[in-house]
Amino acid sequence: MNRISLYAVLLLMAVLLMSCGVSDNKKNAAGKEFLKLRLNAEPALLNPILSTDVYSSEVEGLIFNGLFRINSDLQIEPDLVKNYNISSDYLEYTFYLKENVRWHDGHKFTAHDVKFTFDKILDPSTNTVRRSGFIIDGKPVKFYVVDDYTLKAVLPEPFSPFLVRVSMQILPKHILMKEDINRAQFNRQPVGTGPFVFKGWKAGQFIKLERNEDYFGEKPRLKGVVFKIIPDTNTALIALEKGEIDYSLIPAKDFKRFQHKDDLNIFRYQQLQYSYIGFNMKNQFFSQLDIRKAVAMAVNKEAMVDSVLKGFGKPAYLPVSPVLWACPDDKHIEKYSYNYEKSRQLLNRSGFVMNKKTEVLEKNGIPFEFTVLVGKGSKTGEKCAQIIQRYLAKAGIKMNIRVMEWRSLLKIVQEPVKDKKFDAVMMGWSLSIDPDCYSIWHSTQYPQGFNYTGYINKEVDQLLQDGRREVNIEKRKEIYKKLYINIARDIPYLFLFYPDSILAVNKRVAGLSEPGPAGVLNKIEQVYLIEK
Amino acid sequence: MLLPLVTGMTFLAFAVMHFAPGDPGTMFMNPDTRAEDYVQIKNNLGLDKPVIIQYFYWLLNVFKGNLGYSYISGESVFITIIERLPATLILSVSSLILIFTVTFPLGLIAGFKKGSYIDHTITVLSFIGLSIPAFWLGLVLIIIFSLKLNLFPTSGFLDPALYSASFFVRAMDVLKHLVLPLATIIIGGVAGLTRYHRFGIISILKQNYITAAYARGISDRIILFKHAFKNAALPVITILGMQLPSLIGGSFIIEYIFSWPGMGQLGISAIFSRDYPVLMGTLLFSSILIITGNLIADIAYACADPRIQYSKK
Repeated sequence: MNRISLYAVLLLMAVLLMSCGVSDNKKNAAGKEFLKLRLNAEPALLNPILSTDVYSSEVEGLIFNGLFRINSDLQIEPDLVKNYNISSDYLEYTFYLKENVRWHDGHKFTAHDVKFTFDKILDPSTNTVRRSGFIIDGKPVKFYVVDDYTLKAVLPEPFSPFLVRVSMQILPKHILMKEDINRAQFNRQPVGTGPFVFKGWKAGQFIKLERNEDYFGEKPRLKGVVFKIIPDTNTALIALEKGEIDYSLIPAKDFKRFQHKDDLNIFRYQQLQYSYIGFNMKNQFFSQLDIRKAVAMAVNKEAMVDSVLKGFGKPAYLPVSPVLWACPDDKHIEKYSYNYEKSRQLLNRSGFVMNKKTEVLEKNGIPFEFTVLVGKGSKTGEKCAQIIQRYLAKAGIKMNIRVMEWRSLLKIVQEPVKDKKFDAVMMGWSLSIDPDCYSIWHSTQYPQGFNYTGYINKEVDQLLQDGRREVNIEKRKEIYKKLYINIARDIPYLFLFYPDSILAVNKRVAGLSEPGPAGVLNKIEQVYLIEK
Repeated sequence: MLLPLVTGMTFLAFAVMHFAPGDPGTMFMNPDTRAEDYVQIKNNLGLDKPVIIQYFYWLLNVFKGNLGYSYISGESVFITIIERLPATLILSVSSLILIFTVTFPLGLIAGFKKGSYIDHTITVLSFIGLSIPAFWLGLVLIIIFSLKLNLFPTSGFLDPALYSASFFVRAMDVLKHLVLPLATIIIGGVAGLTRYHRFGIISILKQNYITAAYARGISDRIILFKHAFKNAALPVITILGMQLPSLIGGSFIIEYIFSWPGMGQLGISAIFSRDYPVLMGTLLFSSILIITGNLIADIAYACADPRIQYSKK
């Protein structure tokens, strides 16, 4: 028995050694001209109206088109539409669609597909989080097919983020019409109109796309794209070094290692994100503006960005990213920069006295102690929390850190009760290119909604409503400037930082777009590979 | 016996899962959305109903042969699991076979030559093997054998370019991808089991019947292979029985480092995303395997040791 197994092992090893030489050549012959990208995790499903994870949308972006697309300047530009009209009352949008577009299966793309897609989003039986994006003041947007290539949308109220919302990618009606969209086979074998055709998806391994030879726009120069699913970042970085993938984000700590690699180009750009600590405004301490101010001024954000992000980021003072058009000039904004003395004064003025024994400030015998919830899995978040803890301890404030599994944390924060059971929470927002942030700051979004902290400001409510109704971009800019001034002054969040992305791309990849939050592959059609 | 046992197990699992904080409704974070969207999805998924009713529906469907659909991907749970099963089985079965073929002789030698240089060397090596964390070892193997020596690919299962290649070419490619994760598992696994087996041999060799056999002048070889070996195999069979469920469960860490498309990653991500149907599906698979594992171990006992008999009640 033992001897047999031994032979089996020897045989296996011999076969393995033999195989090392065999398949290498074949791989190179067939693999040429495919761009190899990395996905950190398996996409949930490839249906743009259902998916919510970034991995799904990375793939969907190459298979599908929307009426509009977002370019590298973070502006929308026509994609499936030829042109469009907006009525003078901003309630009627007419879209004239391109007529030479075909689905990957050869069917003609028409206005019926567009109407079908938006109606599916509005259908309550569809498991999508995008429905409320098409419901304005409780009334849904209505879509009408005028003819095969003309579509009309009627809004109940003027709604300025509307064009961004309709940049949603379009689904084929002829395939999904009779299917349960939540469970359709389509979600794993998508058919789109985009520059690349879906060719295969192996669970946990890769997704393969090939060039759409009949693409209505500029012909893609790549033969295809392979998305390899590599969850572990260390493994992915080795794969990048070896050339098994062409492209990967790099953690700040590994930047030095990759900085001078001969075959890699390194890009750096700001992400459309900010991170923050949200104060529970019902908390006995955080309900007072002076105390929130004092906490904010006790923390040196610059030092935090330098140490935790290794300088790859910027301190944040506002609920908007500096790369967006709505971001106002710095000088109007109250920053509450690091000022230990002033923080101390504010706390003394609020009636806090230092307890010499515990070295914690007290007011009426109650120590200034609170707990911040931090999501597990983000090393950056945990390190930031520790640094903030040190700064606050210096100021006489005791901050406890509670690292929690992400779902459990959200459960506490989102529970729709009047008195939420947390003092403060560390999180981040990914932003859309439209500055509308009604669901984060409007008082109606508490306790059920994303206004977790319970921030209530009448003026802010009004500005949020005005910002959605106003269509003129200059006027909107003014509205959002006022909004940001209000929020920055009230500090319901201690804004922390805007992180940068560091991206390494193999030098064989050319035709990249200007690096920015939209990535460097923004015009994928123009990307090509320099063959050696 | 199997049916009530599995039902009980799944009910417990179902209850524990639903009482854990957080629910699938809270899985997306995007300021463009609203709380009511999540409530609607929860209701669509039937999560607004009492847990007991949800369990009843689940069980009813299972008896009809339907494991349900993933909350996250909408795909059939059965297919989700079946897609991942081959990769897991290839890795776990081959590692188990190799671990046992290596462990038996090593443990035997170490136990028989207790206190000798060979024993000490094996002991030291197995302690080193035991104390190396898998995630570190895996990365070191990738750096040495993939990056520096370029013998194997860093990670993955099968090269995407080879999907339409012949069966032989594909099998070779999978083998190439298999080497490093397999080596990582074996190094840790061999170390642990060798200790176990060594101890088994030592304690058997101390028994009176072995001494008696020596007294009768029977050779080392016959004592070792005929008298000691079979008895020392008993505790190992127990371990084998316990290992069976982990064969299908997969190893999350190994799969994560080597991008191996197996069940371990599926189960863990289902836990973090509260994808109950997928989680229940994997639990159902593994509880059936635990029970089968015990059954096989019991039968193997009876074969190895004639003293053990199962009477009919």
